[in-house]
Amino acid sequence: MNDNTEPSAVMVRMAGLNKWYGDYHALRDIDLQVESGQRIVICGPSGSGKSTLVRTVNLLEPFQQGSLRVCGLDVSADRITRAARLALNRRVGMVFQQFNLFPHMTVMQNLTVGPVWGHGVSRREADQRATHYLDRVGLLAHAHKHPAQLSGGQQQRVAIARTLCTQPQVVLFDEPTASLDPEMVNEVLQTMESLAHDGMTMMIVTHEMGFARRVADRVVFMDQGQIIESASPADFFENPQSPRLKSFLGQVLQH
Amino acid sequence: MTRFLQPALIEARRAPVATVSAITRWRRAWFSSPAMSVLLLLSAAIVIPLGWRFLRWALVDAHWLGDSSAACPGDQGACWAFVIARWKPWLVGNYPSDQLWRAWACFAAFSLFWIWVMQRSRTASLQGVLLGFLLLPTAFMALLLGSGVLPFVAPNQWGGLLLTLIATLVTFATALPLGLALALGRRSTLPVVRWFCAGFVEGMRSVPLLVVLFIAATLLPMFLPNGLGLDLFTRALVAFALFNAAMAAEVFRGGLQLVGRGQLEAATTVGLGRTATLALVVLPQALRAVVPALVNIMIAVIKETTLLSVIGVNDFLGAVENGAKSPDWSGESNILTSGHVFLALAYFAACFALSHYSRRLETTR
Repeated sequence: MNDNTEPSAVMVRMAGLNKWYGDYHALRDIDLQVESGQRIVICGPSGSGKSTLVRTVNLLEPFQQGSLRVCGLDVSADRITRAARLALNRRVGMVFQQFNLFPHMTVMQNLTVGPVWGHGVSRREADQRATHYLDRVGLLAHAHKHPAQLSGGQQQRVAIARTLCTQPQVVLFDEPTASLDPEMVNEVLQTMESLAHDGMTMMIVTHEMGFARRVADRVVFMDQGQIIESASPADFFENPQSPRLKSFLGQVLQH
Repeated sequence: MTRFLQPALIEARRAPVATVSAITRWRRAWFSSPAMSVLLLLSAAIVIPLGWRFLRWALVDAHWLGDSSAACPGDQGACWAFVIARWKPWLVGNYPSDQLWRAWACFAAFSLFWIWVMQRSRTASLQGVLLGFLLLPTAFMALLLGSGVLPFVAPNQWGGLLLTLIATLVTFATALPLGLALALGRRSTLPVVRWFCAGFVEGMRSVPLLVVLFIAATLLPMFLPNGLGLDLFTRALVAFALFNAAMAAEVFRGGLQLVGRGQLEAATTVGLGRTATLALVVLPQALRAVVPALVNIMIAVIKETTLLSVIGVNDFLGAVENGAKSPDWSGESNILTSGHVFLALAYFAACFALSHYSRRLETTR
């Protein structure tokens, strides 16, 4: 399965995907396709299932019905094993709302631990990658520090660099700016924009509508576990179809 | 990155210097209110006479030299002559005199190790210390038991502080790894492993250590095959190891729970498998968090080893008590009391050193 890097290849495909937490129906009949190089922004009110959706893509959340194909790996609902999750996570990167950096390691160690111990990359190569991506997010001077010594925005940029060091084919962002102080949101968004310019395939859950308008190829609106609307940013913001999206945009675009 | 701030740093003003005199500060600290003053004077009225009496007993009226109970007539002062004259039994028990250098080597090696531990910088990693606590007891056991060139010395000839030191160190070295294994076992995905570990820990925690020791001393030999005639000391060590492993398992479990789900998810997303996640992400954070609690267990172990004397092993406490029963020293109750005070001071010194070390670790992490 080496053909998944060609420009129009499908990186993520969800078909008829359903997920329950006990009796709670968290995702309903999700059909979604993300092609290589596409940036998909997912938004919706809280509790609408958008985080669950991206966390299902790398199997941090298992699903009970439907099928999932990510980077050439097929996963069906009854074959979600630890091995499948690990194999998938070696091709997919993720950036979390709470950064989830390893607090006992330096920034440099945070960046190299995955490549060396998870991907079998040589120590030298891992160091080179780490230096390269750390430089890209503008934090090379902080390589020897521990995460607690950095600001929230810096930590999130380290987290982005950490995921890039594993050279993922898709990167998932789960509300990457939601726990940042307002003055730090921009530095993270700029880093993500520059990543988008390089053609990285990205699925982004965010409330930053300006960012969605600038960067997204497609914006997806979710409510109550369903995908309600999926459109180009221009159509999405200027010409929303469903009443629910209209009222949602009315709420978030007021200020 | 955006900077909204002024281009130059604003010079900080100095905080005002304290104008209160030292005496005033002292008075405020000790006599801050009438109630506090009364409390202070009251406690002084109790502590000072008692302290003076103890010092008179321990120093002024004490008997320092002599080789039998005749040196300590009456019961006015402490009988340090007993402690001094019987230094060999309480230090090494009945270890053969011509092989004593082996015992001294152990004491010396442990002292050097402890000095090294104490003088290390507060932020240095603990790997060396942990390794020392694993390797030293192994080396000590090999040296003291002996085989080949070194004549064999059975553990029933060991005794006193030497035996207590070995029992303590061996318990650390066995109970802590076993406790970690039990704690990990309780999180296993295999139900059998999980139930066994949970059952073992809960069972051990609900039984008094002394009972476990008696069982190990009397019941265990009946279950072991005849060829495997473990001596009493070794059986007691097994009991200590299992009992304290259950205690340590609970501590480790708390530490493992401190490492949140986000850390595990992050480890998965950078491609780490189960073993790598455990070794590189979970354990380093969990162990760091539980070091103070582990030191507490170590302090408990030091004191627990005195139970060895109850099942008839000649440990530090046992050696001193046996001394007071010997014909030369029997008679005066003051003699045994002096021995107990000496023991209390010795155990206090050891445990205080450990808890001091633990507090030092807490303030740096």
